[in-house]
Amino acid sequence: MAAPDSGVTRPGLSVGPTSEFSLFFRVKDGQAPPLRAALLSLQDTPGYRPGDYGMAIQTIHEARFVLFDDDTRLAFITSFDGPWDAYMEDFFTSGPTLALFDAIFGHVEGYDGLPDVAAVRAFVLDAEQTAAAYARNYGGTVKEIRKSQRVNRAFQQVLDHAQAAEILEHPALRPLLDEAAD
Amino acid sequence: MGASLELDDIQAGALYERPSPYVGVYLLLCIRDRADGRELVRRLHRIVDPASTIGTADETSLTVAFTYHGLEALGVPQTSLDSFAPEFRQGMAARAEILGDTGASGPDQWEEPLGSTDVHVAIAVLSSDEARLHTVAEKARAAHAELPGIELIWRQDCYQLATGRTSFGFKDGIGQPAVEGSGRASTNPRERPLKAGEIILGYPDETGELPPMPAPEVLGRNGTYVVFRKLHTRVAAYRSYLRARSASRAEEDVLGAKIVGRWQSGAPLALAPDHDDPELGSDPHRNNDFAFGDDPRGFKCPVGAHARRANPRDALDQEGSVDVRLHRMIRRGTSYGPMLPEGVTEDDGIDRGIIFVFAGAHLRRQFEFVKTQWLNDGIFIGAPRESDPLVGPHDDSSSFTIPQRPIRRRLQDLPPFVVTRGGEYCFAPSLSALRWLAELDT
Repeated sequence: MAAPDSGVTRPGLSVGPTSEFSLFFRVKDGQAPPLRAALLSLQDTPGYRPGDYGMAIQTIHEARFVLFDDDTRLAFITSFDGPWDAYMEDFFTSGPTLALFDAIFGHVEGYDGLPDVAAVRAFVLDAEQTAAAYARNYGGTVKEIRKSQRVNRAFQQVLDHAQAAEILEHPALRPLLDEAAD
Repeated sequence: MGASLELDDIQAGALYERPSPYVGVYLLLCIRDRADGRELVRRLHRIVDPASTIGTADETSLTVAFTYHGLEALGVPQTSLDSFAPEFRQGMAARAEILGDTGASGPDQWEEPLGSTDVHVAIAVLSSDEARLHTVAEKARAAHAELPGIELIWRQDCYQLATGRTSFGFKDGIGQPAVEGSGRASTNPRERPLKAGEIILGYPDETGELPPMPAPEVLGRNGTYVVFRKLHTRVAAYRSYLRARSASRAEEDVLGAKIVGRWQSGAPLALAPDHDDPELGSDPHRNNDFAFGDDPRGFKCPVGAHARRANPRDALDQEGSVDVRLHRMIRRGTSYGPMLPEGVTEDDGIDRGIIFVFAGAHLRRQFEFVKTQWLNDGIFIGAPRESDPLVGPHDDSSSFTIPQRPIRRRLQDLPPFVVTRGGEYCFAPSLSALRWLAELDT
């Protein structure tokens, strides 16, 4: 039976809607080469391939796996929209995260594998270290940023129209005209 | 599967939706004397209804639940008290900041004695029939009235308004999840019944685990956590807000439907996007048979609409970080207070609203998650500045986006339409646990 939840929430530091989420693990003896190989093949999966921008978890801004201390340690560092601690159980019952976990974290200490969700939760909480400092250079959730990019692409198309200058003269479009010059 | 759910040991009110129509009464009791407290529990044990005896939702049922301080007053050993969920141990008032119960909804503004350590025992009696309600309520009264160490500290009557709808004018109580082994079929054929452990302790939940359960097993098993909240609805403010932004009554109805996600009849926007369909709204086989996956941008039902926030169904399936089935719950909400007469937009000063009641095995990932992540916040829909347009704790700049072609409509400066009057986290134990509590000799 699962132990009573400690109730301790450690959502990390946040900037606007986004919170930092950093995990630090110890690589099992002799597991550095297969872990490197697993990370290399991860880099070849949809969302992680160079040029891809569609990770399976759509609420994270970026993700990095860093092997350090002569490949004895592994860091997983990301930024999550919302308080990640509220979503702990969700991560472990949704497909993409599970597959990722099994492929990578099988090579680090303390991971006993699924499907023991309570154990995996404890494993993650043990590995989490709250940042001492955290800053972001833009606001907004992944959803908002994607929307901004779509809107800007549309705006650039409008600017490429032969009559763009004339159309943007309308007083209601003044805020767009202000952004049209460069 | 799930046939092993011990229905004869589970309180009916912990598992099933309320009757409809309904009348009911909620009582809060304070245990001033431990021996009288245990005698009270012994008597209540004789009159609570196990799920196995309730054939239909319309039958009269009495449900009893205890707060942390109530269990303490009964002399439950500290090691056992410590084994309850931390949110339950803290109580709702202590969670107010997290829940968004601040300002006018803050515990310092709550109705007495809600939020105080005097709230020990909560009793709900619900019936589809006034006479039967009276009979059972009288049994409840008899259980406590002659015990000098038990004090009735709060009473709230509730009844379905003549319209059959909430004070805001909407049919409610639609969209309950089915639970494996409960013997009740789902009203949404697209939603598999929940694992029993999502609602009742002692059974595997959707994660495949047994939910953390209070010890000893006889106390925790077949019990569930219950949340009740008295929510005052500012109906005049709601009507005035819509009226000021509509050119006609028809437009008011549309705005209201966009805010709620259903038309007043209960017809879901997902199935009736353009106009109300009362026949659909009243058809239990159809009014919950829908999804949002075909409407990712919310042209039919806005992504920020109340009902879509409270249960996003398949809308978040592609996110990779949310499992909606971990955030379902049994709701047994009822209305209190008279209806604000049709068409009135001036506040009459009369208290009216909703007694929100939750039952589930996980206070934090069910009730608190839905309240904080989906109703109070908009991060999950990419609109951090928007909260639930109907029940969100709106600050000065709250807005609500209604997707529509060619140009979205955005409602600005939404005032709060719901004010928390108080509430508490409770535990509704099994019948065996009631016996165990009555026989404590600490």
